[in-house]
Amino acid sequence: MFLINPNKFNKVGDYLFKPLLILSIILFALGLLFSFYLSPDDYQQGSTVRIMYVHVPSAWLALLTYAIMTLYSILALAFRIPFGFIFNTAVAPIGAVFTLICIISGSLWGKPMWGTWWVWDARLTSVAILFIIYLTIIFMNLSFENRIVREKVVAIFILVGSVNLPIVKFSVDWWNTLHQPATISKLSKPSIDPSMLTPLIIMTIAFMMIGIAIAILRIKTEIISRKSNLS
Amino acid sequence: MKFLNKIIWFYYREYKLNLSGFQDILTNIIFFFVSIFIFIFSIGPDKKMISPIGIGIIWTLLLLSSTLSLRKFYQDDFENGNLLIIHLNGFSFGFIAILKTLSHFLFVQLPFLFSIPIACILLNISSDKLINLLTSFAVGSLILSCLGSISSSMNLMNQRNFLLGSVIVMIFSVPVIIFSVGVINLEENFNSLINILFGILLIVFAINPWASGLCLKLSLENN
Repeated sequence: MFLINPNKFNKVGDYLFKPLLILSIILFALGLLFSFYLSPDDYQQGSTVRIMYVHVPSAWLALLTYAIMTLYSILALAFRIPFGFIFNTAVAPIGAVFTLICIISGSLWGKPMWGTWWVWDARLTSVAILFIIYLTIIFMNLSFENRIVREKVVAIFILVGSVNLPIVKFSVDWWNTLHQPATISKLSKPSIDPSMLTPLIIMTIAFMMIGIAIAILRIKTEIISRKSNLS
Repeated sequence: MKFLNKIIWFYYREYKLNLSGFQDILTNIIFFFVSIFIFIFSIGPDKKMISPIGIGIIWTLLLLSSTLSLRKFYQDDFENGNLLIIHLNGFSFGFIAILKTLSHFLFVQLPFLFSIPIACILLNISSDKLINLLTSFAVGSLILSCLGSISSSMNLMNQRNFLLGSVIVMIFSVPVIIFSVGVINLEENFNSLINILFGILLIVFAINPWASGLCLKLSLENN
């Protein structure tokens, strides 16, 4: 079980790090090639639809990162697995960066399409709150002096803040928003053309790979710093 | 019976403490009114402009001024050791959180209930909206007390960055603000929106003893 044991994670992480990095670079090159040259223009949006290939994967991964952090907080608090605390501390900045990429690319997309950088729409506002929650987690990690209190308090905060996740996901269905509803992650068949779905999936996998690679690096650093603090 | 007696003594102690620190509560209310004045100075004294946004202003300032008193929530009792004594008297940490939340609601939030009508006169809000505002505040302020309990118990051991507590309260009070301002501005579905507000209250009231009790226990163990 390398996902809950720091020592085994170190070993598996050593094996996985370089292949993941190389794979993500290859996939990024392939995905960018696909999304810039081999995918068609949208009939309404023209060439700006290509922002989607950065915007959507980062949004998915921002949500996914928070969901995994919630899972690890439950594991850490309920089953007393300290690796969950290490994971939370290490991964929060990655999620914050993904959310920031999502917000910035979204507002770059919104200017030509909606005519404004920002609207106070349910989806946009809830993602902004998600970003603030990530920032609060980072600041909490920086500002407590006692480590045992800090990690548990941060885990509780993550659990309480996970209320925001379903709001982000379902905000487009619950309220009338300018942001379009889900086209891919829904129960029926995705209403996107395969020629656009292929680069999107490649980019998502590439984002995921680079995210996992950075996460491995950060978790290893965190483990080393904890070990050196103890001894 | 003995347990009930202890609860009554707890509230008597809280009453005494709040009476001796009454100027703190008054300062909160003065902060509320002064910020209304500042708002009006910055927007301009035009009545047509003020009355549609008046309720939003009142709710925002109520939220801000209730975050001012967060430091008093657990910090004093934690530092002079009374929290431990209360716990040794047979209250679990979750129960202390509930008692403290209710006492914060009674002694800090309820005085605002009397200052809202005056604020409504200042901001030119009609009297039929005032009743809705008071109803929504009675529910919403209890939610704000629960959130304040959670965030201030999280920040007991946080010596460097106490403002984080206010940020936490403000993040989680976003739905409260949305629905409680919506209650007043959309009068035709008042009942459905106040039911949503009650639902949020029940969720937060259920989370509160677990989260703040755990944080209190942690901080007392590692102090």
